[in-house]
Amino acid sequence: MKPQFLFPTWTRWLGLALFLVHLPVILICKTYDIHSDPADSGMFSSGHLFFVLTVVLMVSGLFLIAFSRERIEDEQIYQLRLSSLRWAIFANYFILIICLIFTNNRADYKDMLRLNLWVPLMLFIIIFRWKIYRLNRSLKPE
Amino acid sequence: MKNSLRVERAIKNITQAELAELIGVSRQTINTIESNKYVPSTVLALKIARVFEKPVEQIFLLEEGD
Repeated sequence: MKPQFLFPTWTRWLGLALFLVHLPVILICKTYDIHSDPADSGMFSSGHLFFVLTVVLMVSGLFLIAFSRERIEDEQIYQLRLSSLRWAIFANYFILIICLIFTNNRADYKDMLRLNLWVPLMLFIIIFRWKIYRLNRSLKPE
Repeated sequence: MKNSLRVERAIKNITQAELAELIGVSRQTINTIESNKYVPSTVLALKIARVFEKPVEQIFLLEEGD
């Protein structure tokens, strides 16, 4: 099989670390309401930098988890990857369409964008891991 | 499609893991091929046939309804 472009296996753990690092940062920010100064809303202001930092951490973390190579990346894994990706995209667009129908407010669009930032990747990771788990469970003893 | 992978493996006396290593796939893949849950690609079928030094048709057979 022709090799597909994927990140090395160890990047999964790097991605997980990045994702886990972003969680306390977000929590602290929400708890203490750090960057809600409306005057400080320009490009590369502290609020903007903070937003970029946390979002980039989260998205790159999820991206690395999703597209890191399995220990043995063979054609069956490739097939599972593809079908998981398809289901994730299906579900994502379903959610998106539902959101579009039930939003009538410009402020909500920002939340929808935020949701779309991580929902497809998250769904893909969950479905892919679930399929691998199911595959390993279904193995017959030799 | 059915296959005689398990029998061929028994004749050659190798485990699923050994066969998997020989052709560069995971043991899970060999296991699912043996239990007819996964249909391998032509490339993989040819690689398996090469390990057993037999033509592909002797290992993988079409069934009624395929």
